[in-house]
Amino acid sequence: MIRLEGVTKRYPNGHQGLVNISMTVHRGEFVFLVGPSGAGKSTLIRLLYGEERPTSGEIVIDQFRLNGMTWRQLPRLRRQLGIVFQDGKLLPTRTVFQNVAFAMEVVGASRKDIHKRVPQVLELVGLARRRDHYPEELSGGEQQRLGIARALVNHPSYILADEPTGNLDPETAAGIMKLFQEINRRGATVVMATHAKDLVNQMQKRVVVIEHGSIVRDDAKGVYAYES
Amino acid sequence: MSLNSIGYLMKEAGRSLWRNSWMALASVSTVTIALFVLAVFVVVSVNVNHVTAMLESQVEIRVFIKPHVDRRRELALMQEAKTWPGIRKIQFFTKQQAAEALKQEFPDQHTLFQLIQKSNPLFDGYNVYARAPSDIRTIAGHFARQPIVHNVVYQGTVVKRLTRLATVLKWSGWVVEALLGVATLFIIINTIRLAVFARRREIQVMRLVGATNWFIRWPFILEGLTIGLMGAVAADAAVALGYHWVLRQAAVSLPFWPMAGFQVVLLHTTVFTVIGGLVMGALASVVALHRFLRV
Ligand SMILES: Nc1ncnc2c1ncn2[C@@H]1O[C@H](COP(=O)(O)OP(=O)(O)O)[C@@H](O)[C@H]1O
Ligand SMILES: [Mg+2]
Repeated sequence: MIRLEGVTKRYPNGHQGLVNISMTVHRGEFVFLVGPSGAGKSTLIRLLYGEERPTSGEIVIDQFRLNGMTWRQLPRLRRQLGIVFQDGKLLPTRTVFQNVAFAMEVVGASRKDIHKRVPQVLELVGLARRRDHYPEELSGGEQQRLGIARALVNHPSYILADEPTGNLDPETAAGIMKLFQEINRRGATVVMATHAKDLVNQMQKRVVVIEHGSIVRDDAKGVYAYES
Repeated sequence: MSLNSIGYLMKEAGRSLWRNSWMALASVSTVTIALFVLAVFVVVSVNVNHVTAMLESQVEIRVFIKPHVDRRRELALMQEAKTWPGIRKIQFFTKQQAAEALKQEFPDQHTLFQLIQKSNPLFDGYNVYARAPSDIRTIAGHFARQPIVHNVVYQGTVVKRLTRLATVLKWSGWVVEALLGVATLFIIINTIRLAVFARRREIQVMRLVGATNWFIRWPFILEGLTIGLMGAVAADAAVALGYHWVLRQAAVSLPFWPMAGFQVVLLHTTVFTVIGGLVMGALASVVALHRFLRV
């Protein structure tokens, strides 16, 4: 469970990221964060994976209390999270297989586990036949799938995605969205910041609308709607 | 840490050194120079200590007895001195024997010997040999306090001067070394920073998927250690060649000068350079990564 209690984030330069946000995400949920550019969606995601600290308020994810979290504890939280970005943050000098394997290597997985698990995830995201290609040889949608595979490989309970379809054409974006749906169906909780209006509307999932750093709507089977 | 991880870490450190090989070469060279200077100081120190020890071990104490003292009292003191601790050997000589010894040592000084023949101004005395150099001072003190003893002479002053020289060398060595060490540190720090910069994407991904900070740091620390160690090996090789040459030259042109042995010297320099190299390498990586991983 993710719980935010009166969370405010003010950046050192005075910009207001979030103002007094409270919300709860239960295990297995699929939540869209929508809202205009600069509303604070990315800020919220960064707070969830501990990249930023709240100025005030409380953030709890399962047994982890993020407020007083030290840099030693952070890795343990991060192993529960799969984080996906718009730009994928792929390693250009490594192949598809190596990019995914890397995420397992650096948390100490054995060669055997890596060689068993990586093909499974590549199969799931539809990149099994691309395993020896380099990221620059992939299409935009494939690159995004690679980023998702890497986020999934260590069996996270939560997937945090910041505009994962931002660079993609509608058709490819729909495929990616289906993939997230499948991941969610398999048990992972998904929190996704997005601008993909049509897709959000089709999915019939919970939608949280953020404007100027505050939650203005939170609907269980919501639609993508806000005053811009 | 698991075996998988160790394999990974070694691979990463090697990869990084290879990718930054020019900068790494520059670092290794500066480390080599700094450690070479350190090693030269060590070589000189070891040699000074060697000469000091030689002189100390050869030292004999000469005890001179006041004129007109009874021969029996002289011999009685010798018997008593034999029971004192730290004395290996004690030899009595008369002033006639002292004159003979002098004649043999300086056979051309005829006028001097004629003078001595008429009225011998020399003293009776003892040659005393200590068991260990550290006993000399105590033994000398013992004799000096005896009423029949005129004075006591030993090579303490030379030894003292050499010891003082060794201390000065040691301290000036440390000062020069500290300055060189700081300069070297900066260069290694920059090399590691470059390596960190080259791997910033990897580091970002590692942090996102929950690699521990130590896991992220280790390859860089290994890299620093490798640079330090390579510098040490290069410096030692240079010192080994150099000292070998010095020994050969010395054997020809200074055959009586006691040089410290090749192996003893190399043992000392290796210990100093390897420890110095590893400490510098580790310190540089820690400094380069300081602040870097804390969120
Ligand atoms: N690192 C940062 N430093 C300073 N201000 C920031 C930073 N990131 C975001 N902001 C500010 O916080 C507000 C919310 O930004 P963001 O969370 O990126 O919104 P969104 O992702 O919804 O477009 C904006 O006013 C933005 O300028
Ligand atoms: Mg954003």
